[in-house]
Amino acid sequence: MTAHKPMGDVRLGLLVVYFSIINLPLPGGSSYLVDIVVITMTDGDYDYLIKLLALGDSGVGKTTFLYRYTDNKFNPKFITTVGIDFREKRVVYTASNPNGTTTGKTFKVHLQLWDTAGQERFRSLTTAFFRDAMGFLLMFDLTSQQSFLNVRNWMSQLQANAYCENPDIVLVGNKADLADQREVQEKQAKELADKYGIPYFETSAATGAEVDKAVITLLDLVMKRMEQCVDKPPVEPANGNGATKLSEAPPNEKKCAC
Amino acid sequence: MPQAADMISLSFLSDSERERILEVLQRDEELRQGEEHRVRKLKTELLDVKRKGAKRGSGKYGQRICGRCLEPLSRLTFFSTQCKTCNHHVCSNCRTTLPNGSWLCSVCAKESDLKKRTGDWFYDQRVNRFSETPGHNLVKVSLKKKPPLKKRETTGEQLLRNTEINPDPTFPVPLPRQKNQTDNKGHSNENSVASKESFESKEDVGSKLTCSDTESAENASLSSNKTDPESGRITPEQPRKGKQSLQSSPTGSTVSSLTIPVKTDVVTVDTNTEANTAPEVKPVSPSPELDVDRLFKKSLKRASIPPESVSTFDLREAIEAPDASMGNRSRSVPGLDVKEAEEEDEDIDSLVSFHKRSMASSSSSLHSSKSALGSTMSIYSEAGDFDSVEVSGNIVFSMSYDEDSQSLHVFIKECHGLAYADASRQLSNPYVKCYLLPDKSRQSKRKTTIKRNTIDPVYKETLKYSISRSQLFTRSMLISVWHHGRLSRNAFLGEVEIPLDSRDLDSPDEEDVALMSKAASTAQTSAFAQYKGELVISLKYVTPKKPTTEKTKVKKREAATEPRGELHVLIKEANNLMAMQPGGTSDSFVKGYLFPTKGKSTKRKTPVVKKNLDPHYDHTFVYKDLALEQLREMCLELTVWDKEAMLSNEFLGGVRLSSVKGTVKISKEEVEMDSVGEEVSMWEKMMQYPDSWAEGTLPLRSTMRKEEGD
Repeated sequence: MTAHKPMGDVRLGLLVVYFSIINLPLPGGSSYLVDIVVITMTDGDYDYLIKLLALGDSGVGKTTFLYRYTDNKFNPKFITTVGIDFREKRVVYTASNPNGTTTGKTFKVHLQLWDTAGQERFRSLTTAFFRDAMGFLLMFDLTSQQSFLNVRNWMSQLQANAYCENPDIVLVGNKADLADQREVQEKQAKELADKYGIPYFETSAATGAEVDKAVITLLDLVMKRMEQCVDKPPVEPANGNGATKLSEAPPNEKKCAC
Repeated sequence: MPQAADMISLSFLSDSERERILEVLQRDEELRQGEEHRVRKLKTELLDVKRKGAKRGSGKYGQRICGRCLEPLSRLTFFSTQCKTCNHHVCSNCRTTLPNGSWLCSVCAKESDLKKRTGDWFYDQRVNRFSETPGHNLVKVSLKKKPPLKKRETTGEQLLRNTEINPDPTFPVPLPRQKNQTDNKGHSNENSVASKESFESKEDVGSKLTCSDTESAENASLSSNKTDPESGRITPEQPRKGKQSLQSSPTGSTVSSLTIPVKTDVVTVDTNTEANTAPEVKPVSPSPELDVDRLFKKSLKRASIPPESVSTFDLREAIEAPDASMGNRSRSVPGLDVKEAEEEDEDIDSLVSFHKRSMASSSSSLHSSKSALGSTMSIYSEAGDFDSVEVSGNIVFSMSYDEDSQSLHVFIKECHGLAYADASRQLSNPYVKCYLLPDKSRQSKRKTTIKRNTIDPVYKETLKYSISRSQLFTRSMLISVWHHGRLSRNAFLGEVEIPLDSRDLDSPDEEDVALMSKAASTAQTSAFAQYKGELVISLKYVTPKKPTTEKTKVKKREAATEPRGELHVLIKEANNLMAMQPGGTSDSFVKGYLFPTKGKSTKRKTPVVKKNLDPHYDHTFVYKDLALEQLREMCLELTVWDKEAMLSNEFLGGVRLSSVKGTVKISKEEVEMDSVGEEVSMWEKMMQYPDSWAEGTLPLRSTMRKEEGD
């Protein structure tokens, strides 16, 4: 809880320093802070509030992952999350055209990153928060086959409880630094991700490897979804009306339901 | 009074765990409040842009003039000047280029940008998923009264509200989207297939129930418990069935503080008259399976406050007007209510046309700037007629918000150099009067004492308004100075209007403001006078039950004998309505007409949803025997009204959906098909995709009359 205090300042409109971090994973398990951007932020001084949520089995490293992302720190101690929690971070998002070129337009994005307890006993509470998130980091532990097997369950939980049938999800295999204990092979995980049509990253909250990339990729998906939703709603086919159909939409298909 | 009427119970947690979660929710709340403020600001910006576009909505202007800035269009570019969303011709200065190279006019671009920035794209989609039952059986849907769903409400918000350790007397669960919650609960087992089924079965249970009596609600709560895989949850819900005012759920530990005498009374009465009020409860209450919540809702119904004003219930006012609320209650006997509804019908009709003709003299409304003068006048007329003098002088005051008492404090310090009301005798007996606009009722009036024979009165008095902070964003403070004529008439000495949307109420700095005459100050009215809230609806054209080939025949031949389809209009909810009644609420209903036929045959109304600024109607208007082609020439007008017991109903806003620009003649009246933006796109989407719902959130117009500037 204490770790969140600095973020409180953001909302109080104080001078806030925020970091755009590029982590260079090093063999030694440390990383360098390469780029620091200092920006004055006042209350509500952002363009978008994007809510993401991390889910997955207990102990896969959701909390440390988010801690790494927001504070660029690593806490090796395992403290189980009580129900729910969230962290915040401001990032600058550069919009890009469908063809991939940047438009040069930048937006200030306030990320609210929900952290959920993986423990079963909190399940009813945590799933209730799924519906408030715009994108999901579905995490498993690369050193635990079981946590990987449970991805499937989490997927169906998501499909049932998220704001739409096919929300934006990024699959994250965490603890990539523990190579000697690895139980899940990259190929396996990649195949599963492909099956769902979602991106896959192998991250390490300990080293910071790929952590940013995973979150930014998800943010990008959400932002693209948003554009899609707003800019061309009337041309959707009839079954695009989420209002009537709650039926089987393929989870991997990018379809806007608005 | 069952508190913590909440679906996700935190009762399985230990105290320390619960505390931690509450802490998290509290932080979330802070973030959300900032966000709410930001969103309101964005919406105001949109309104500003809209107002600048003088021609918006009207079809009556030359195509060679830009629909936004009214500058002549260049001949060369004529063919590519139409905005693809609103079809207005606009000049190149009034366009915004999109990333994909196309462009929209400035208003449409702003609208779509706003959808992104406010997160509405997300909430709109979510509403579809969670509040929508498969739309095949509409009657069933409207009978079932789907759970009210406040579009932007989050789980955290809801949880927080239900579990907060808060001494405040009123933190009702305003509009719990219970269904979603049960949905969520249903999924709390590992197997999602099974959970889907349990969700379905709950729905069935729900639909079988008549949602009119407490019994069934209790049954519902039982059945939902049964289907609920998590046994832990049953515990917290059970005590609520007892409807004890103090219940023992750990999460409801604050309940005792809720039972303030006045409210307890109200609640008790309500509970007793439950059976009578039931039919009327329907629109307000969540769907039948909503066990606890439903009970909570019912018993709190009258006493509860709309979500915006969570903590604003003004007890003083409640005490002042116990009779009135009793009166309301007695009216809710079903039979009586129906009669009454019939009686006020014509009344409303005449009001609609009244609104269309001239907005100026309505005693009720604030709408557009033109009519604002009229309505402001009505405030003064309340004090009888008055003398006017050349306004002069200043007023020194400060405003602050007191979190402890959840009230706005207006400190009136003094005035300087006021005008003489009686110039010949050099006399003024000034006092200061405040209204928290848009509420111009007596409830909103506060006065200082009268200072005799001075033009530099010193008051040092604090006027207080019990209102929640979030509600203040839509308000403005009208401070006026009057001369009290003991034997003669009162005289108006000047006024200032302070919009509260962007005011810092945390640092009560004294302000020294020059008083203005009426006309001058009304011109400055905040943009919120225009913002009337939104209406969330779904449209569907239901094709006749004949094969498709037959249907096309109908279209071609216009054969009257062929079966024709139906238009279904699901009125879901309205958001951020204006408060028209004491306690900062409104008792609203929605009325619909399908032009060109105006009259009983196309008139539809929803039941009245009481004391709610974000009412959930979940009511469907069905228009039968319509060919799809006909709809192209039709115009659906939906207006929201505040139901007044003794007075004429007050107009809260409206929308007009159509695809064609132009006018439809209805008897003597010309009604313009002046739909704009989403009003058009929704209507077209409905026609484009028969048998599927087109859902949308439409900003309410402040007037149904032609747009200004035409």
